[in-house]
Amino acid sequence: MLAYIARRIALALPALFGLVVLTFILSRVIPGDPAATLAGDAATPAQIADIRARYGLDRPIMEQAWVHMRQVLSGDLGNSIFSGRPVSEDIARRLPATLELTFVALLLATCLGIPLGLLAALNHNGPIDHLVRVLSVGGLAMASFWLAIMLQLQFSMEWDLLPLRGRMDVPLGLPPRVTGFLLIDSLLAGRGDMFVDAARHLVLPAVTLALPGLATIARFTRSGVLEALQKDYVLYARAAGYGRFRLATIYVLRNAITVTVTQIGLLFGALISGAVAIEAVFDWPGLGTYAVQAILSADYKALLAVTLVVGVIYAAVNVLVDVAQALIDPRVALQ
Amino acid sequence: MHLLRSAFLALVMLAAQPAQAQAPRPLVWGDTLPATLDPHAIFDVPSQFVLLNVYDGLYRYQGNPPRLEPWLAESHTVSADGLTWDFTLRAGVKFHDGSAMTAEDVVYSFRRLLTMNRGPSAAFTPVLTPDRVTATGPLTVRFVLSSPYSPFLTAMPLVAIVNPRAIAPNVVNNDWGAAWLAVNSAGSGAYSVLPGNYQPRVSLDIQRFPDFFRGWAGNPRPVETVRARPVMETSTRVLALLRGEIDATDSYLPTDQVERVERNPRTRVARDESMRVFVIRMNNMRSPFNNRDARLCLTHAFNYEGFNNVILRGFVVRNGGPNPNNLWGNPPDLVPYAFDLTRARAHCDAARAAGVDLSRPLEIHVQNELEQTVQAAQMYQADLRRLGITLRIVPNTWPGITSSTTRSETTPDMWIHWVSTYFVDPENWVGQMYDSQFHGTWKASSWYSNPEVDRLLRAARTSLNREERQRLYADATRRVVADAPDIWVYNTVNLRGLSRRIEGYTFSPVGSGGEIRLMSLAE
Repeated sequence: MLAYIARRIALALPALFGLVVLTFILSRVIPGDPAATLAGDAATPAQIADIRARYGLDRPIMEQAWVHMRQVLSGDLGNSIFSGRPVSEDIARRLPATLELTFVALLLATCLGIPLGLLAALNHNGPIDHLVRVLSVGGLAMASFWLAIMLQLQFSMEWDLLPLRGRMDVPLGLPPRVTGFLLIDSLLAGRGDMFVDAARHLVLPAVTLALPGLATIARFTRSGVLEALQKDYVLYARAAGYGRFRLATIYVLRNAITVTVTQIGLLFGALISGAVAIEAVFDWPGLGTYAVQAILSADYKALLAVTLVVGVIYAAVNVLVDVAQALIDPRVALQ
Repeated sequence: MHLLRSAFLALVMLAAQPAQAQAPRPLVWGDTLPATLDPHAIFDVPSQFVLLNVYDGLYRYQGNPPRLEPWLAESHTVSADGLTWDFTLRAGVKFHDGSAMTAEDVVYSFRRLLTMNRGPSAAFTPVLTPDRVTATGPLTVRFVLSSPYSPFLTAMPLVAIVNPRAIAPNVVNNDWGAAWLAVNSAGSGAYSVLPGNYQPRVSLDIQRFPDFFRGWAGNPRPVETVRARPVMETSTRVLALLRGEIDATDSYLPTDQVERVERNPRTRVARDESMRVFVIRMNNMRSPFNNRDARLCLTHAFNYEGFNNVILRGFVVRNGGPNPNNLWGNPPDLVPYAFDLTRARAHCDAARAAGVDLSRPLEIHVQNELEQTVQAAQMYQADLRRLGITLRIVPNTWPGITSSTTRSETTPDMWIHWVSTYFVDPENWVGQMYDSQFHGTWKASSWYSNPEVDRLLRAARTSLNREERQRLYADATRRVVADAPDIWVYNTVNLRGLSRRIEGYTFSPVGSGGEIRLMSLAE
């Protein structure tokens, strides 16, 4: 198993290397001069040229790429060209917000998607199956920013049930930062009121983010279970007198779920990137809004760092998914 | 055990009632925050919130129309040749750490600004070097300019006076404390930054400074704490105001939201004519824009009334030239161009007769995140089609566009933006937009060149006589408008959504009404 894990990690490294090089080149060839942006609204051409030279932006692109690679390999993501602060500090502050939202959304999508998919398959072509299919198609087709606004209008404005934006009600302040996950930090601080407030703030963005994932998981689980139900061992198990529930959850689901697990891994990456739109609408101070602000201000250092961090998370999750698959189905590791 | 107890308690509360804050709500300011708190590192519209509340300058603009008032300075004198400027400072000004402000602090601030060569330094570097700022006494400072520059005083409010004693322990690698000051403050303003709270563009908490040098007698119920929490999305910002989650939006409330905000009993819209001109630029160095008839054709093809009164619902004021209507130096007899497709067609025909090719598709760059620029381009596109001109709309961003305007070859055919109030002087508009010496800056991105206009603007820049300057700027403006290098559309009426519990909100085009010391919260 260890050799299998090492192999998966080794396969991820060239992808990350390619990501660093490609994103750097892309960030420097697209229109937008960071020096002009940094110089500010009232800058003269001489001032812009001075800044360009000071930050090495006047060097050949490959030389800049090499300097960037060396920085990244030494663990330095550089400073934001706008704020002058280390990008790693900004990301460390923002990442927990995105991860907290993503984890909760993934939890929702998984905990609801798998049972729904299973139920649909067990009621193949029945009313529940039709309902799940409609929900799946709807969940995938609905634009998330539209859904976000609709949920805000209904649950915040119309019914006044849930907060509209942000991670915590402003007058409450924030719990002392330990993990950056407000749900955890508020519990560590013994502040139940903050935990409740953080949980309430999570509901709408997490539901919005979870819906397409839920639909995907439900669909894959449904088709996996349907396929498994046709297998001989299910027929024999049925003939041996196993109960419907035991048959479905232990024999069928375990065999059908490997595809779903792969999808959950892929979804994690998709959810992090999908969080960009959700974070903007719900004013969630995570990595997505940070990336948008970096794009709008041509802060290429910040943008490169965000891309790299998301890439590393994505690669790590894929390795974990591979391991999980191997644990569920040992034949995967043997192959 | 402690964790489990908290979790249980939390779950019980979650099932019960929404959390209610017991303390009265602080003022929650929903306008945009800057990327850094260092007032010498950045100069844009969001940074003015920090400049006005946390820092002070020697002079400051107040009210609308803005008056330039002595602030940290008591008075100034200028030599007859316009080169030597002496400022006498106010005694008894304290920084947030309690230390007294001296002339040396002013010298340090200007040297820091000019050496770092960022932010608002561009307003001074052509005429001022760090060594020409000196303290001539404990409370007197002298500036010796390399050439006369009459907007010098009007640009004074751009420069924050910082406390060198707070910065000195935090200087790393001769950086003038830039890394530290990016997330901390060293000012004397009416509010001080609550340490450790600031997150670039996300949150900033400031609290009232009781020893503020102007005192608080003018406001018996000042706001004690302000929590600035920018809201990124326009729709969320409006909803947050209506719901009471924030007390103020930014000052660019979409015109289609005005009625909605005013209908809500808890909110209102502050409407104030500002000094912010909406302009469609044309690259005058490129065909067909290098032909006056072609430019006039394009100028007459924009439906000013339709855009201003229908799309923007009349919440703007038609502005026929580069200077805001309400600024001195603007010729009062200026007649704005009108939407007239017949005249436009005649000018187009004249341009074609002169050999100008109007058949190539023209590109107009819009700022995608600013809806008005897109709306203007789409309306313009439809009208130009009636003249047989194809307009292609190119989505872009502010940095994307401004960085392309450093060379005429990379400057777009056309692009849309506003010129905000950085300092209240025609130099901020017609001076820096149409004097060819500014080519390569975004403000002069129409690449207009007219030797006579250059002469007038340069004479206005060096004259110390206000009447003469007024005449020179008016003359230059008339000539510029006659040449139609750009399409000037409107002067902004700032629209800021406010909670009704905010009292004393006072608008000034510089800072867009973000001066908190004047406000109080209704009980």
